Amino acid sequence: MVRGMAMREQRVTDAFVELADTLVAGFDAVEFLHTLTERCVELLDADTAGLLLSDERGSLRLVAASTGETRLLELFELQEQEGPSLECYHSRQVVTLPDVNQETERWPRFTATAAELGFSGVHAIPMQLRTQIIGTLTLFRTHPDGLDEADARLGKALVDVATIGLLSERAVRHQEMVTEQLQTALNSRVTVEQAKGVLAERHGVTTDQAFAAMRRHARSRNQRLDEVAGEAIAGGLRIADTGTDGLTLTHTRSGRT
Amino acid sequence: MGSGDIVLMRHDGGMSERTARVFSWVAAAAAAATATGDDNGHISMAALCRAAHLQLGVDGASVTAMTGPGTHTPIAASGELAAELEELQVTFGEGPCLAAFTFSSPMLVPDLAEVTARWPGFAGAALERGVGAVFAFPLHAGTIQLGVLELHRAATGPMTAEQLANTLVFADLALQLLLDSSSGIDRRPGYRPTDEISHGRDVVHQATGMVAVQLGVDMAEALARLRARAFTEDVPLNEVAADVVTRRLRFDPQAGPEEKPE
Repeated sequence: MVRGMAMREQRVTDAFVELADTLVAGFDAVEFLHTLTERCVELLDADTAGLLLSDERGSLRLVAASTGETRLLELFELQEQEGPSLECYHSRQVVTLPDVNQETERWPRFTATAAELGFSGVHAIPMQLRTQIIGTLTLFRTHPDGLDEADARLGKALVDVATIGLLSERAVRHQEMVTEQLQTALNSRVTVEQAKGVLAERHGVTTDQAFAAMRRHARSRNQRLDEVAGEAIAGGLRIADTGTDGLTLTHTRSGRT
Repeated sequence: MGSGDIVLMRHDGGMSERTARVFSWVAAAAAAATATGDDNGHISMAALCRAAHLQLGVDGASVTAMTGPGTHTPIAASGELAAELEELQVTFGEGPCLAAFTFSSPMLVPDLAEVTARWPGFAGAALERGVGAVFAFPLHAGTIQLGVLELHRAATGPMTAEQLANTLVFADLALQLLLDSSSGIDRRPGYRPTDEISHGRDVVHQATGMVAVQLGVDMAEALARLRARAFTEDVPLNEVAADVVTRRLRFDPQAGPEEKPE
């Protein structure tokens, strides 16, 4: 037990070091935000985490999540329109929802989707530095009630150190680089939506099925989702029904690597 | 509600305060040009560049249409220097505008003197002309890439968060103008660009992909056709898009954008 505590302490320390280190060569803002969501799920009593960022025009967009599951991603994307993440962004305060079933009138679509996926507790933390708010990190739990106080504090601290790192002005080029990378990431999501439409129309499947097939393909080949989407749009991939595995993507020309 | 530098979307589907403000700036620039007989009052790219110059804390703005490497068509510029900076990039084959297009990413250069190694020809020539900072923004939506909005100013230094947010809306609007000029609806009376490309309208992008397959056209033309239909029928773009995604509406390559019952 004591040993377990010491190990956890080490992991917490490692996470802080990792999240403070934004001024490395080849820094990738989107990858960094993925890391933040993963560390939160590892270190806190939470089952999944998603990060919504202001698109710098004033709307929230999902840019990172600790999971790749389509349904869970939808739960986060839904919050671009309604839910605790949006509330947290507007109020600039932590929003804790002990039980989604008690907020069905306020956020009908969000609570219905969350409950359907088996989540009950939600905890949204604002990403802000002084007067600037850039987004929110939201944690979901399958069991009710919010994070305990120690976890809530640790979550806030992890988000704060990451936000400070992102908004750091220590490096002259840093701010510009973060904006460039995030805008590129937001545009990648548009490419994925276009590809869903292309595959759905070409093969008579739903956009959800098209998305699931692209995700599976990307994961099995360790490719980025927007690369797969680009290939699908260019006509290099088609959907095949492999029976047991459901719909999968295959290359249209044989012998292609 | 915080009164910081981020304007919030108040309602689902409407135009954000920020977008409404940027549109009003461009409309005012168009109206001013009409009053002096320079323009015919249309929401034009020239008006957009003038408004960008006036509102974004810069000394000039230009829009260049690009569809691939080497295709570089100047559309509008707020002044001679803005136009000249574009020509320089064509001459040298390098610069923030070309990079923004190639990488499909904004290129923010708050101090040109720091990028002379990256773009020796362009940076040197721009510095000689007294340019200190250049900011280039791709006009894109997913795989659609139609050009670049570029800003320049004499003073070095980054854009503020507020200026950056407004510039991104200017870029969205410029993209819409390029799309709508390709379908011709920008010349119709009552034309007004909509606000549904950038603001979380996944269904619009999905419908774009579907219409591209239905018509056998590229994404840009598919989106232009969707927008033209929304304008002609006077329905919101996201409603037309939702009809396509739910397969209540198909675009027929023979008949133009006509509804075809299943």
